[in-house]
Amino acid sequence: MTAVREIEFRDAIREAMSEEMRRDPRVMLLGEEVAQYNGAYKVSRGMLDEFGARRVIDTPISESGFAGMAIGAAMLGLRPIVEFMSWSFSLVAADPILNNAPKMLYMSGGQFGCPIVFRGNDGAGGQLGSTHSWCVEGLYSNVPGLKMAIPSNPHDAKGLMKTAIRDNDPVFFLESERLLSNKGEVPEAEYLIPFGQARVARAGTDCTIVAFGRPVLLALEAAQSLASEGVSCEVLDMRTIRPLDAGAIVRSVRRTGACVVVDQSWSFGSPGSEVASLVHRECFDDLDNHVHRVHSADVPTPYAQDLEQEYLPNPRRICEAVRSCLYRA
Amino acid sequence: MSVQLTMPRLSDTMESGTIIRWNVKEGDSVASGDVVADVETDKATMEMPVYDDGVISKIMVEAGRQVPVGTPIAVISVEGDADKPLAAAPAKPTTSPEVITSTAGEPRAVPAVSSPPSVANDGDSPRLRISPLARRMADEMGVPIALIRGSGPGGRVVRNDVLAAAERMKTGGIAPLAPGSALAPRTPSATLPLAVMAIGEGSREVALSGMRQSIARRLVESKSTIPHYQVSMKFNMDPLLELRAMLNEQLEPQGVKLSVNDFVIRACAIAMRAHPFFNASFAGDRVMLHGDVNIGVAISLPAERGGGLVVGVVHHAELKGLREIAATTRALAEKARGRGLGPEEMGGATFTVSNLGMFGVDNFTAIINPPNSAILACGAAVEQPVVRNHQLVVGHEMAATLSLDHRVIDGAMAAEYLKSLKQHIENPATLLV
Repeated sequence: MTAVREIEFRDAIREAMSEEMRRDPRVMLLGEEVAQYNGAYKVSRGMLDEFGARRVIDTPISESGFAGMAIGAAMLGLRPIVEFMSWSFSLVAADPILNNAPKMLYMSGGQFGCPIVFRGNDGAGGQLGSTHSWCVEGLYSNVPGLKMAIPSNPHDAKGLMKTAIRDNDPVFFLESERLLSNKGEVPEAEYLIPFGQARVARAGTDCTIVAFGRPVLLALEAAQSLASEGVSCEVLDMRTIRPLDAGAIVRSVRRTGACVVVDQSWSFGSPGSEVASLVHRECFDDLDNHVHRVHSADVPTPYAQDLEQEYLPNPRRICEAVRSCLYRA
Repeated sequence: MSVQLTMPRLSDTMESGTIIRWNVKEGDSVASGDVVADVETDKATMEMPVYDDGVISKIMVEAGRQVPVGTPIAVISVEGDADKPLAAAPAKPTTSPEVITSTAGEPRAVPAVSSPPSVANDGDSPRLRISPLARRMADEMGVPIALIRGSGPGGRVVRNDVLAAAERMKTGGIAPLAPGSALAPRTPSATLPLAVMAIGEGSREVALSGMRQSIARRLVESKSTIPHYQVSMKFNMDPLLELRAMLNEQLEPQGVKLSVNDFVIRACAIAMRAHPFFNASFAGDRVMLHGDVNIGVAISLPAERGGGLVVGVVHHAELKGLREIAATTRALAEKARGRGLGPEEMGGATFTVSNLGMFGVDNFTAIINPPNSAILACGAAVEQPVVRNHQLVVGHEMAATLSLDHRVIDGAMAAEYLKSLKQHIENPATLLV
């Protein structure tokens, strides 16, 4: 019998990493504070004790250096997990993670793969200022050759992380500081969640809301509030945006005839614009209005709390977009 | 620089026009005010002047072709600058195709536009605005898009509009479109009957003139969207005919000739004071009672002019005496049968009179001329046996039939209006003062 229990998002990720390290001796974890301090956000609590300093490695504050080192290790047969304390700090490692890892298989003529998981906190953590509040999915998902998972809950985080570790391509795994303490049901028994399979987080008939990561929770909140107005929203949790489950989006929009995308990255050249383009191409004859998009405002992330709240997608803005899309504004 | 001439909007309801004739050819010099073409609209054939001096460098639409309002039809190269390409013309976006941005930068109300067609069409192009989903649903449900009022931005027809129209169809009739509102443009196909096969050798086809298309479209819309019903009454015409004969004899030296219809128009106009709902328009969620009484008069056109029918308008009929009404109706008829009425002479009717008495018709019913709420159809004043003061005598009677919009006017109201008309017509001195 499978016991159902509730654990935190951070523990779900740790369970996935630990299970995979037990299963496969090639898997290792490295990053700032991951070992002796148990992780800056306590995601890797206890892992140094279990796996030892050869497989759980504290690095200097040098993202470019340890990301590059991990790529070398992957080319020689290991399967590293690289923790960035924040994805904001990965920008100094842009050359290894964007210019080397995703292209390695192609440029080596298939000789070297790059089975790495790059993971860390993404998005505005809450008053961290503009330079520490990056949503890198807009920038990074542009690059061919990588995969990108953005879970919204502990269950998906564990299943997707195990798939990420077993994947032979570099996987960018985007967590959220604001989700790490969220609890959710995670079965004891092993499970994996394949990439490219969206989840219907809420079924509905009037409007499809496409979201991933933390905005899924905001979309569910909005859908709950819209239900009291008689508007039935279907919320799709994409789980991975590379690969993107285009079929799930298209099937849903063909039923509802309306689509709102919620994406906390900036709007210009973003996953949200890619979804809008997809829907306009594949569902043109099914649309009663153009795709509406809710993004972070097109400015550097503000520090002030009320401004930051208004800058990010929030339930009120999502409700407004859905109403407008349904001509109810 | 170059100035682009576009199909002008010559009447409120004009959506397209046909170039009947070009008076110029490429290379001809033109001066401001020159009439370069005759354009047939849905109502009349009108002259199209230009407002620039220059050379016709290109004619883009040949005579005989029908194109939507705003379509570029010719280009004038203005002196001294002829070699510059059209695209270099100052492309200030204009809000309406009737406004030209001249080189002096002074907007003038002329039927031409110097901005690119895409900009010109942006404002009030006759293009159907409908969401892809709504279009597909309308197609699947058999709802004529032409009859759906769009509630979305810019009048876009959206899913809910189609569902509402389908519901109205089920319950027996789509509500009519309010006059002058931003409506989804009507497609000709909405009024097309089933496939028609020629029967018999010697069958021939007659292309629809712009006017005939307009009659087809407007009357189908009227008859299929307005709940018509008719109420008739007979009037004793002897006193009126007697008075008319006397007046015409006395006024002959002044060149005045009053027709029976002029008396009817006068009577209809005077009766409006007591019956404002006959001078009204149904406007969806309300009834508009008009301040002016503008009586439309149906004027048939001679076959050699292509036949058809126009409605000339006697504006402010409630303020006009018989002499002025007679002068106006005669001028309208002559102009309609001559070079055609202008938009101002055809627009703004609030009530319409159609009279077939001069053709010997006893009585008939007419179709309401939208956005009017009533139309009066008059037959001839026929000499016949009648009962007067319990005696069978010979006298003249005229049958008049009102067609009414039941959303505005009920049967009892119609009876009251006819009673007022009867009092005026049978006591014609009341029409003189």
